[in-house]
Amino acid sequence: MLEFIFPNNVMCHAVEAMLFASLGCALLSVLITQMNISSIGFTMSHAAFAGGSVGAFFGYAVLPSAVLVSILTAFLMGPLSDRTRMHTDTTLGVLFGTTMAVAIFFIALMQGTGKGFDASSLLYGNVISLYREEIYALVIISLLIVIFLSVFYKEITAIVFHKRLAEIAGIRVKPVYYGILFLISVMVALSIPIVGGLLLYVWLVTPAAIAYQFCNTMRNMFIMAPAVAVIMSIFGALIGVQYSLPVGPLTAVLFSGMFVIAVAVSPKRKVVIHKH
Amino acid sequence: MTNGKDHVIRLSEVWTTYEGADLPVIRDVSLQIKPGEFVVIGGPNGAGKTTLLETIAGLLPVVNGTVHVCGLDVVKDGCCARKKIGYVIQNFDFHPYTPFTVEEVVLMGRFGKIGWLKRHTSRDLEKVASAISQLGLTSMQKNQIGKLSGGQQQKVLIAQNLAKEPEILLLDEPFSNLDMITREEVCNLLCKVADAGIPVLIVSHAFDALPDRDIRVVVMQHGEITLNQMSHPSKVEELVRSASVAA
Repeated sequence: MLEFIFPNNVMCHAVEAMLFASLGCALLSVLITQMNISSIGFTMSHAAFAGGSVGAFFGYAVLPSAVLVSILTAFLMGPLSDRTRMHTDTTLGVLFGTTMAVAIFFIALMQGTGKGFDASSLLYGNVISLYREEIYALVIISLLIVIFLSVFYKEITAIVFHKRLAEIAGIRVKPVYYGILFLISVMVALSIPIVGGLLLYVWLVTPAAIAYQFCNTMRNMFIMAPAVAVIMSIFGALIGVQYSLPVGPLTAVLFSGMFVIAVAVSPKRKVVIHKH
Repeated sequence: MTNGKDHVIRLSEVWTTYEGADLPVIRDVSLQIKPGEFVVIGGPNGAGKTTLLETIAGLLPVVNGTVHVCGLDVVKDGCCARKKIGYVIQNFDFHPYTPFTVEEVVLMGRFGKIGWLKRHTSRDLEKVASAISQLGLTSMQKNQIGKLSGGQQQKVLIAQNLAKEPEILLLDEPFSNLDMITREEVCNLLCKVADAGIPVLIVSHAFDALPDRDIRVVVMQHGEITLNQMSHPSKVEELVRSASVAA
């Protein structure tokens, strides 16, 4: 897609992947931070990890198995938190423990039977060895997120503000809420091969955390968070590929640095003292 | 005897419970409210007053009986019914940096009416501006809601429900955060709402700013209605107190 800008094929794939993954993740990060469900990042990463290990044990490809289990977990998440009458974050904690246990269980079984399982691609990712189909999948999910947010913007903002008040306003909260959880899960599953499960958390929280330092409205956050994420991710990809540095960790460090700067210069820290 | 068709709220032998509760919270409650009635619901803490409002709004499971609001069965069609119901909740706590302005929050009240896949129109914005103005919030409509005082936030939620153009209005402790003057202003506003034919149901422990008009007093105790009668505003507190003690 961007070959006309980046003739180098490796560089082009890396930039494309980082562009679309950061765009989708950053849009979702606004919802994740405002809905206080930031543990969804590592829960879904571990669901993918569990899926990969189960797939490897039964002789299936690791990545499709990881994506499949992430999506199944996504389907479970909303109804489970409603059914158990617990806060979504508590349900995520339970699912995190379960998927982690499943992953370790099957890895231990494989070690016992002499089967090998390389989890490094799921943990750390590898942006320069992606298939074109994986990039297309990222484009599609990013577009789906943009469409979903545009079509249901008013319902989403009402739910993010106050679920109970949204329900009282006559909004059907559950389908929209489950839709948000599902999109987050799919985005996480597809982004894992790029930056890895361990660093994905940065994409799902930090862009919105940076935008939050400057924005007073959701609309502005939805503009600033993806803008910051896309610029920093492409910058990370360019520097990483150019100087043979690990792209994921480098980008994560850049995000963290930017967050520190944002907090330092945020107008929200301003204290006004009027003596008269 | 009326056939009940002229009542916008009809509860018939209703039993309501929360999941995990040992006993039903609302027990065998029947209540009928006509358009334009001003209803004060009193009673001690834990009597079931908030639960009664949530039941009317279709937010709780009804284990027995029927609840009809504006001709709709709220058990079967709660979402549609809630588009006609204004409900100002009791407990709210907005973070100081919640990224929503007063204007945006008031507009959210109309989202259910606007419906799926549609954007707000100029009429929606007119209703929002009118509600904001009625509550005296015009100067702070661009402020973040979390930065307002508790009383101002309470007024925003009342404005949100007025902007919705409800066919019935439920308010749970609407005066709890308001100063005396604002309390009277809000009460006069609610009186105008009732005069326009919209029944207003208020759960309250404050009876010092009630409007000068006939008021239906409903007293609840242990999930049951122990008193349901019309009264003059000056007698409301005495009625609630005596009914609570007697029960």
